[in-house]
Amino acid sequence: MTLTFHKTDIQRIFDHCAAGLPNESCGMLAGRDGAVEKVYCMKNAKPGPDYYEMDPEEQFRVMKDIRDAGLQMIGLFHSHPTGQAYPSSVDVAQAYWPGTQLPNYPDAVYVIVSLMDRSRPVVRGFSIEEGKVTEVALHVL
Amino acid sequence: MAIKVRIPTPLQKLSNGKAEVECSAQNIKELVDALERDYPGMKERLSEGGKIRRFINIYINEEDIRFMNKEDTLLKDGDTISIVPAIAGGSCQV
Repeated sequence: MTLTFHKTDIQRIFDHCAAGLPNESCGMLAGRDGAVEKVYCMKNAKPGPDYYEMDPEEQFRVMKDIRDAGLQMIGLFHSHPTGQAYPSSVDVAQAYWPGTQLPNYPDAVYVIVSLMDRSRPVVRGFSIEEGKVTEVALHVL
Repeated sequence: MAIKVRIPTPLQKLSNGKAEVECSAQNIKELVDALERDYPGMKERLSEGGKIRRFINIYINEEDIRFMNKEDTLLKDGDTISIVPAIAGGSCQV
């Protein structure tokens, strides 16, 4: 499993995450076969420096937009303003249906942007399944 | 009264692999009970103490039930219900 981005898409993600500081930022990645075709920069409905939650109405609208475009939701991104680009225990817990280890979005890569060094953001991708976090290679074209 | 329900991937084991099911209900509470009758285990996945679980979003057509009458929101023939897990997380440690 890999995820391929255009350089401009990665830059859009970095810009959105930087604009959201000091809070976390989030969004969705739509595409096909691991290739990101569209980046949705979204609102953090519960903004905090260590928390994000997508706005349910926007989440629904974006997921519908992705389906209508014939694409799939292949990734979710969010920032860690002062943390590593690695899923936290909250990220892992939220990736599952409440009270289970059933992944909510088994086909999505969880992309995390660390802004610990704001001039040099670090981005990494992970799959979170059945209690296991596995790094997914990100390729930038 | 036929209501279409879109079942998210993590619950499709309970719905025998079906991504969409039909049931009959007057409101969301009844819908959860109807799903439980047809697909045992659904109620516990969807609700806790009679309320829809915190990180589960339920939409009637395109409207979030939180902005309507929550579990008491009335349904009508032909409505489509989407059950969608919320997307949240963050670097906080709990």
